[in-house]
Amino acid sequence: MAKTIALPVMKQKRWVPWLYLLPAMIIMSIFILYPMINTFGLSFQNADSTASAATTCREGQPCWGVFENYRYALTNELNMETPQTTWESFWISSYGNTIKWLLVMVTGTVGLGLIFAVLVDRIKLESLAKSIIFMPMAISFVGAGVIWKFVYNYGTSQVQIGILNAVITSLGFEPVAWLSKIPLNTFMLIVVGIWMWTGFCMTLLSSAIKAIPEEIIEASRIDGATNFDIFTKVQVPIIAPTIVVVITTMVINVLKLFDIVYVMTGGNFGTNVIATRMYTEMYTNANYGRGTAIAVILVLFIVPFIIMNIRRFTKQEAMR
Amino acid sequence: MKHNRIPWTILAVLLVSALVLGACAQQATPTQEPEVQTPGDIDCTGVTAGDTVSMLYQWSGEEEAKLTAILAPWSEACGVTVTPESSRDQALLDTRVQAGTPPDVAFWNVTQLSQYKDKLVDMTTLGANAANYAGYWGEIGTIDGRWLGLPVKADVKTLIWYSPANFQTAGYTVPTTWEELDALVEKMVADGNVPWSMGFESGDATGWTGTDFIQDILLVTQGPEYVSKIITGEIPYNDAGVREAYEIYGKWAKDPKYTVGGAEGTLSTGFNDAILKVFSDVPEAFMVKQSGFASGTILGTYPDKVYGVDYDFFGVPGAKGLQGGSDWLMVFNDTPAVRSLIKYLSSDKGGQMWAEVGFDLTPNAAGNASYASAESIKKAELLSSTTGFTPDIGDSIPGGFGSVEFGGITDFVNGGDLTTILDTIAAAQADALAQ
Repeated sequence: MAKTIALPVMKQKRWVPWLYLLPAMIIMSIFILYPMINTFGLSFQNADSTASAATTCREGQPCWGVFENYRYALTNELNMETPQTTWESFWISSYGNTIKWLLVMVTGTVGLGLIFAVLVDRIKLESLAKSIIFMPMAISFVGAGVIWKFVYNYGTSQVQIGILNAVITSLGFEPVAWLSKIPLNTFMLIVVGIWMWTGFCMTLLSSAIKAIPEEIIEASRIDGATNFDIFTKVQVPIIAPTIVVVITTMVINVLKLFDIVYVMTGGNFGTNVIATRMYTEMYTNANYGRGTAIAVILVLFIVPFIIMNIRRFTKQEAMR
Repeated sequence: MKHNRIPWTILAVLLVSALVLGACAQQATPTQEPEVQTPGDIDCTGVTAGDTVSMLYQWSGEEEAKLTAILAPWSEACGVTVTPESSRDQALLDTRVQAGTPPDVAFWNVTQLSQYKDKLVDMTTLGANAANYAGYWGEIGTIDGRWLGLPVKADVKTLIWYSPANFQTAGYTVPTTWEELDALVEKMVADGNVPWSMGFESGDATGWTGTDFIQDILLVTQGPEYVSKIITGEIPYNDAGVREAYEIYGKWAKDPKYTVGGAEGTLSTGFNDAILKVFSDVPEAFMVKQSGFASGTILGTYPDKVYGVDYDFFGVPGAKGLQGGSDWLMVFNDTPAVRSLIKYLSSDKGGQMWAEVGFDLTPNAAGNASYASAESIKKAELLSSTTGFTPDIGDSIPGGFGSVEFGGITDFVNGGDLTTILDTIAAAQADALAQ
């Protein structure tokens, strides 16, 4: 009697992949998706989320109905008497400051990181130099804020305990109130950010530079390229994808930036950024509607950069 | 036998975590005698020995120890265990209240009374003894007709600190009227001395020393009623009276002849450093306007300084009322143990205990004679002889007014346009009070 033996067939049901994804999806829904949807909902309600934001409108004042919290978030910092006051107040508003942070800090960290990455590639004590540049990254933001607050300290007496003012006064100049002089103070804060994050950019860019095959560099040397030519025409184009990733990562970091400003000036003297303003509205002022509206605006700013990062990532994966 | 190891590893991990969890868990309540004793005048009605009261407050270290000492007679007499938590982070309290898991009681600021008004239990229901509190305390603690908070601790802000030794050397006398103060300030400037030391810097609350000063000027020029009307919104913040106070203040706070370092000094000096500048070996100024806590700051840096000789204070001359910070006990859960706590703190014994321990001042009038230090007695005299007590304007108007007010005065000293600033603050005032 011939027997037919049924061999086990490797065939998955269509829902099986979903099963594997389920734990991750549950966690993401609870901790990411639900809070986001809830935040979005709260941003259309009043301070303690008991009524629509439209009820907070006051007579004789501009009102955007249910979008009232967004009107507050977008226009309240501006002095719209004349175009000129609007323009001036924009540049010390949280949005103007965030733009300053983006422009100066992203170019500063990526630019310096790139220069350091190329320079340390050529010196003997490479790992030591890299460690020193990377070290600020190991300090917490709050710690760095406190350290730099001392650096910038403005003393009223003859003795300056802030090192920067001590140097300046010893050279015969007047001490400067670094943290309260507008618009200087925002840039002094950005210096702290650059100090912290340059090491991060340098490390990523340095590993990309090291991944360039030695033959290419040698070939270009033989063709008569100077060091500068090699940097601008060979190394930079090759590591361009990495540079883009570093830039987008830094943009996201800067948009979310909170600690340095909160610790060093508390958002005073026109140094507020979007994230510190969000905190103030949310916790100091206990206005959940306005706080979440600012949060939503912040997310909207960040989303395009996250998409860019993910696209770049999937492209690289596809190439493998 | 290699596989046998895995269960052992798991067992070991479980044991370790059990130990760790055990260490984290609350300590078992010490077994008390079953019958509830009621010695002296502590009322423990309805309390079962072993009951707990969960508390949230902002005090830690020495301050926390003082509170524990004050509560000790009550917790011993009634056999109540206190489960305290200490945090300065208001977000923690907010989160708990929003989540529906508030502590039984919280010691917090007066603003929280209106913020949580729907969730708090009436003091009258809890059996608080109103007779021990001056009328103005009841007014501040009453929200929408309900008495929601028990004032437990007060700190007088309407004070000017100075060094009697330095005053004597320079030949200055303590002013008793606002005109005398103004004349003294001008005399100091004429002598080439700097009268004031001011310091705004205080993290995200930068500016509060300035708004305190404004409020004290308002108490002189307008009086406590006027300040109360700003708090209720009857008087807009851009009123002429407020403007005048800012102008008086600005004359001093922005000019290096009147204050250490001028505007930049005022903005970048920390509020504690500003106190010390008056009492350092080479004093940079003669006076600093600051709350009652200044003596703590002085002694913290200069432990050898003697009260009455090296440092002393006088009430802002001519002020028709006081400004002060106050801490309020608010109740989220009505239990017999909580009731006994409220009764104890509002009783004569509670007030005396608070004063004996000397945790700032107690609003409970029964404590007036029980203070240990000459400094506290002088402050308590100021507090009990005043006709009005106004809470900080910035702390009393909810919904973001405070941070706008702090930011406003900071901008003003930093050279901002006064009309624009006062209009902005007035808009925030109207906005906050309309909610």
